[in-house]
Amino acid sequence: MNQQDGYADDIVKGFVIWSMVWGLVAVLLGVFISFQIAFPQLNFPPYLTYGRLRPIHTNAGIFGWGIGSFMAFFIYITQRLTRTSLWSPALAKAQLWLFNVVIALAAVTLAMGMNRSKEYAELEWPVASLVVVLWVIFAVNIVMTIVKRREEQMYISLWYILATLVGVAVLYLVNNASIPVSLTKSYSAYAGANDANVQWWYGHNAVAMVLTTPPLAIFYYFLPKATGVPIYSHRMGVVAFWSLIFMYLWTGAHHLLWAPVPDWVQTLAMGFSVMLIAPSWAAVFNGYFSMNGQWHQMRENYLVKFLIFGITFYGMQTLQGPSQSIRTFSAFIHFTDWVPGHVHMGTLGWVSLVLFAAIYYTVPRLYHTEVYSIPMANMHFWLVLTGQLIFSITMWIAGVQQAAMLNATNPDGSLHYSFIETLAELYPYWYMRAAGGVIYLAGLLLFLYNIYKTITVGKAQAAVQPA
Amino acid sequence: MDSASIYYLGVTLFLFIVFAAIVARTYRKAHRAKGEEPKFRMMDDDQPKKHDHPET
Repeated sequence: MNQQDGYADDIVKGFVIWSMVWGLVAVLLGVFISFQIAFPQLNFPPYLTYGRLRPIHTNAGIFGWGIGSFMAFFIYITQRLTRTSLWSPALAKAQLWLFNVVIALAAVTLAMGMNRSKEYAELEWPVASLVVVLWVIFAVNIVMTIVKRREEQMYISLWYILATLVGVAVLYLVNNASIPVSLTKSYSAYAGANDANVQWWYGHNAVAMVLTTPPLAIFYYFLPKATGVPIYSHRMGVVAFWSLIFMYLWTGAHHLLWAPVPDWVQTLAMGFSVMLIAPSWAAVFNGYFSMNGQWHQMRENYLVKFLIFGITFYGMQTLQGPSQSIRTFSAFIHFTDWVPGHVHMGTLGWVSLVLFAAIYYTVPRLYHTEVYSIPMANMHFWLVLTGQLIFSITMWIAGVQQAAMLNATNPDGSLHYSFIETLAELYPYWYMRAAGGVIYLAGLLLFLYNIYKTITVGKAQAAVQPA
Repeated sequence: MDSASIYYLGVTLFLFIVFAAIVARTYRKAHRAKGEEPKFRMMDDDQPKKHDHPET
């Protein structure tokens, strides 16, 4: 425990450092597999093929970098918003170890080809069971800290934190229900359209409960801290929160449009997906209105740049997502490169920009020092922004072109282009996508170096200070 | 429409009513000041309250 502050912050340091390690792994793998797409000869079977590395990339990114950072900041934020110390620092330490064991096991088992073939739920049952233990430990610690809080009213971030804890638990347990046939193989407890419906209820709500509610909790906490001005409206935050939670529940089936699930379920999913624009943009407006009279900080305060661009990408993402849920548009862009463009705007733009800001804010405070280099942080911002934009925009263009070619027909109704012709046209975009990934990676390396130097300088200063 | 569909839509409707009640409560005039309080208190949360950490 950090004796000076009275908060259990040592564990936050551990989670921040390890999440950055897994984040680097995710981006390195992402860049490598983007080159594998552009240059297929870079596939080295059986372990280093796109098919095996791609799930490791997503798991390292979403769960290693994302969940790892969320664990760090949930512990950091919850203590401060409740003005009480963590319920059990020892449990949190065990959580950190188990977290790393699970992510390492995930990487190894996926590389070996052990895979449930469910998007974002690939891990076989022994590793998935460890994830459940990990989540229970985490949830109990945070919930108990909130229970013994010294603040009667909960700030909006705590609502998002609780939703994440409950939401992920329910989603994970239901979708991972399976029948093991050996230590390394299991079959889903559901079949056919039911299995697909459960999977995409999970798949889309994982986007909600892992990639939306945690970054929002972090955004709502760190934007006021970075600007020094409270958020625009707490009540608007609360209403947007409940609205978001209710609506997300019904949207999963928009991944199954034109599939053999009941038509009214598809329509309901489409309707709620479009309605989701309202709560999502309420959060965006809350962020923008919080900047009233503070916009000059976009020039002067590097943290604000990360946070405001992050929420801007969230706003774009939450216009694009509902648009994609509309049947005709879905039919056009589904199974094209548009989708990775959309997903990476969310992960690289929204989630990661907010997490970068949170790490820049907390690490100097945790080590009682200043950030090593603000110019380097600014350069990091521009590199990741450029890399992400190149990635997303090229994939959007590629997706539209691909969709147009796949849908083009001759007067007699036959396809105008063969599948291989559509693929051949995509190579220039894949080269640009890989280049965007390299630029993003360069920004990430600059960030890691900056944080590393911040920590080492902080430790050196602490060593020379009199006891 | 079968019973499962009616149940599905019934739950949707029930949750919508709960949501409407939350909105009405949050935005009622009497709740205004209290509802906005946390955003001011969180600005000064970098130290835990006194006597909260006997071990420090």
